[in-house]
Amino acid sequence: MTLLTVAVTSLRELSRRRVALLFVFVLPLVFYLVRIDVPWQALRFLALGVGWAIATLALFSHVAARRLDQRLSVIGASPTALFFGRQLAIISTGLVVAGIYFVLVAVTQDVPRLPAVALLLVTTVLIAAPLGAVVSLVVPRELEGALALLSIMALQLLVDPDGTAAKLLPLWSTRELSAYAIEPVGATYLHQGLAHFAITLVVCILIAWAASILRLRPVRLDAPDEYQDATPLNTHDAGPDGANGRLRV
Amino acid sequence: MTSSQEWGAQLTTHLIEAGVEAEEAHKLAGDFLAEAQDAGQDPVGLYGPAMAYASTIAQTIRTATAAIAPLDRVRGPVVLRLSRVTKRYRRRTVLRGVDLTLRGGEVAAVVGANGSGKSTLLNICAGATRATSGTVERAPRVGYAPQQHGVSPLLTAAEHFRLFGAVHGMNGRKSLAIGTHLSQQLGWRPRPDVIAAHLSGGTQQKLNVVLSELNRPDLILLDEPYQGFDQDSYLDFWDQVFKWRDAGAGVLVVTHLLHDLERVDHLLELPRVDES
Repeated sequence: MTLLTVAVTSLRELSRRRVALLFVFVLPLVFYLVRIDVPWQALRFLALGVGWAIATLALFSHVAARRLDQRLSVIGASPTALFFGRQLAIISTGLVVAGIYFVLVAVTQDVPRLPAVALLLVTTVLIAAPLGAVVSLVVPRELEGALALLSIMALQLLVDPDGTAAKLLPLWSTRELSAYAIEPVGATYLHQGLAHFAITLVVCILIAWAASILRLRPVRLDAPDEYQDATPLNTHDAGPDGANGRLRV
Repeated sequence: MTSSQEWGAQLTTHLIEAGVEAEEAHKLAGDFLAEAQDAGQDPVGLYGPAMAYASTIAQTIRTATAAIAPLDRVRGPVVLRLSRVTKRYRRRTVLRGVDLTLRGGEVAAVVGANGSGKSTLLNICAGATRATSGTVERAPRVGYAPQQHGVSPLLTAAEHFRLFGAVHGMNGRKSLAIGTHLSQQLGWRPRPDVIAAHLSGGTQQKLNVVLSELNRPDLILLDEPYQGFDQDSYLDFWDQVFKWRDAGAGVLVVTHLLHDLERVDHLLELPRVDES
């Protein structure tokens, strides 16, 4: 219940960041158009653009919600529900972006394996959302976090994808999956891409989830002995239909 | 529409915004217009601007309601106990050896200069910050209003009520009904389409306070919650604090103002430890 409420609430917050949402849609488009003459690069750049946009959205969403989430956890909200609720909202937004760009690719490119494009965009969104959360928890300030993400994405764009170091980067799988979608290559690319995606996804989620729990979990405080021995008492104006339980020794 | 009718309509609107029930607001406006007509005067000349008069009337109604139905004061069990609580950030000591025992039905005020650790103490009581040493015991059902960032600027009041209500296991309808009712007790009627960022500072703080009380907690922790309040809202706030107390809740208020402190049960003055 809390998880879904947090997800719906986060979606409402995101929907009111209209300018930010506009850039979330525009950034991948710019990446795509700048390389549209080279289909496999256009596709890979599009995926990286989607990843960057959604990771940045996740970063800002988690940083902005940090104090409110701390307050909610103090009054009893589960840090796990808060984390996954916000992730659910970001992933939903990301899937809408992915869907729109899948249609764009289908219309503007002659892709031999079109379903692989959908797979590419969805896996990118699924990695980007927890990646942004990881950065927000390690660097809990918007500017510094955005610069950290910029560094990761710049590395992702500039590093030699055949090198060993490239495989340590979170979106290496986009190269394998984009190659599988466009070029006449075997299923090895698909398998390698999916394996890298699965490992990256699990690592990002585990780190972000654990860090989120560590940051949000309130200090455990015992109730005073007298309080534990007390019995409920209703004396408060409980409002329209609110039940109330005060305590009396 | 004549100027009198316009004044009456404005008065009704402002009374409703100040938390007066719509039916009562219409009746009051009608009574005032009839009185002005009997006196042969323009209502603006007799009562003054509608907005200011509505504020005065709403305040009078709330005060009268509190006086008519005083609640029995109940001293309950201990809801908060601090024993030798100390907080250090690296080498800097912020709090040293703080003791406090607060029962249900009592109000404690925490006062002190800037940097004396008032907000840190409140966060320790809430469980948001860990004390370096000492023990903290408190009731599990707690309401907590931090000084800043306690609300989301992009959510409406109703969305806040639903979110906080969900944490307390309430459905959306119940959360909204209780939140609206509590808001009216602070002289504020939330509008459904206004996000918190577009509320005045004082109204944002009212939302902050209402959220802290949504689950009828046994212990309410408030960190200078009246910042941005006008005089009427400030008085309403303290009325509300004493209503919570009379209903059996323990209330801990961090404050730097010295008004109303003669009415509190405990006054905890924090020195600046580095300077003491």
